[in-house]
Amino acid sequence: MKTADDIFDVGVIGGGSAGLAAAVSAARCGAKTLLVDRHGFLGGMGTASLVHSFCGLYLLRDDPGAVIANPGFAEEIARLMIAATGRGPQRMGRVDVLPQHPVEFASIADRLVRAEPSLTLLLHVEVLTVESSHEGWQVELGGRPVSRRVTVRSLVDASGDAVVASLLGMEAPMTAAPLLQRPAYVFGVQGVGLNDAGDGLQIAGFIVEGIRRGLLPEAAMGMTFRASGKSGEVFGSLDLTGGDSLAGYDPLDAGCLTRLELSGREIARAGVAFLRSLHPGWAGAFISHWPVRAGIRESRRWLGESTLRGDDLINGRRFDDEIALATWPMEFRENPKGPKLRYPDENRPCGIPLRCLKPLGMDRLWVAGRCISADHDAQASIRVMGTCFSTGEAAGMAAAREVGHGKVASTREV
Amino acid sequence: MSLSQKSPPTPIELIDWLNDEGILDLDVLFPEDGDLFAAGLDSMAVMQLVVAIEECYGVVLEPADLNKQSLATPKALADLIGGKK
Repeated sequence: MKTADDIFDVGVIGGGSAGLAAAVSAARCGAKTLLVDRHGFLGGMGTASLVHSFCGLYLLRDDPGAVIANPGFAEEIARLMIAATGRGPQRMGRVDVLPQHPVEFASIADRLVRAEPSLTLLLHVEVLTVESSHEGWQVELGGRPVSRRVTVRSLVDASGDAVVASLLGMEAPMTAAPLLQRPAYVFGVQGVGLNDAGDGLQIAGFIVEGIRRGLLPEAAMGMTFRASGKSGEVFGSLDLTGGDSLAGYDPLDAGCLTRLELSGREIARAGVAFLRSLHPGWAGAFISHWPVRAGIRESRRWLGESTLRGDDLINGRRFDDEIALATWPMEFRENPKGPKLRYPDENRPCGIPLRCLKPLGMDRLWVAGRCISADHDAQASIRVMGTCFSTGEAAGMAAAREVGHGKVASTREV
Repeated sequence: MSLSQKSPPTPIELIDWLNDEGILDLDVLFPEDGDLFAAGLDSMAVMQLVVAIEECYGVVLEPADLNKQSLATPKALADLIGGKK
């Protein structure tokens, strides 16, 4: 017999930026909520993959000064992160980003979860099966811990990879390589001396020279370093090819993912060793942490009641049922040489309709984060963490509302 | 120097070239003393820039050539390339 412990109003699969926002927001609506994640901490790309900037939090502006695009959970996280790191938004080229520290992010997520009595968190579990039932959804959780079955009345897929679509046998399109966004590989380095922006340009020159002289692999092209805000610590970042060729990349293949992790570490090691041998500020540098996993930017996406398109982003299209604004330029990393950014006309933000968070023909099911219903181009904007906080918040509130725990509709006031 | 390599660019030619190479996305009216860093030039783009300059103009930029001043504007960058030719 099922006990009350096994029944939840809202279940959230995946505790990255979107899932964290969804679960906390659902719980704040009064819904008995379950959040599950495969890691030992929350934060996803921002912790496990060491992505150390929140992009998409601010409006695009020519004028200086960062202006929050979406009130609510995104703004709350920004405030908590600024308090934790003491670092405010930074203008990088034409965009404003908030530097974030993965260690702080994990702790902020812990605090937010602990503050919600109606929220249950289960770490170190994967979702094994999902089946429709008259009460909602039967979800089987497992992994190293013993398998456990729960019932959730409304489900939010914040897995990033549309895992629930796959388990239900639903169509979930994935852009084919080589167009698929390349994965990021970010690692921590400590013991670094100088690290201001000018130094970064010179380091870029050293990396190119290392490749030119055959001392570094071609794959080191694009390796950059940025100060973490903590003394002597920088983060190194590179984009991986994802396979022997661009076409061989498949983010849903374990063999391919394994090669990614191995090649990321190999290239990073070579890069840091090379700089240590040449650059006086790097004489004492060492790699202090590897990511738990390479940062997958794009894989499967849900098909929703509406699909956001690249043209919508370019034109800054607005929608009656929009729940957040997408403000990050479409950032294409289709090859490992460097990002290509496509900006909207006149810096206009684009609305994200609630229908993009609602899988087509499915009740009591919502999607948040990088796998919402969007085409490849639009996904290049909405995948960033700053935007995922807002789609997560909207999905969590919508899921709670659907099972009778409503605040007022989450549609933005335009 | 191979015959296919171009002579040093003027600042205006350089603006078109940066767009054509996909290194930056500059407005057609971008001024020759405009701020390339504000237009998105970062250390990742600088790597592409160094490689493309070598391929196209036959000029090898060393780490010591790369700083906030030498890359600041199309004019500064044209001077840097011209000075190395």
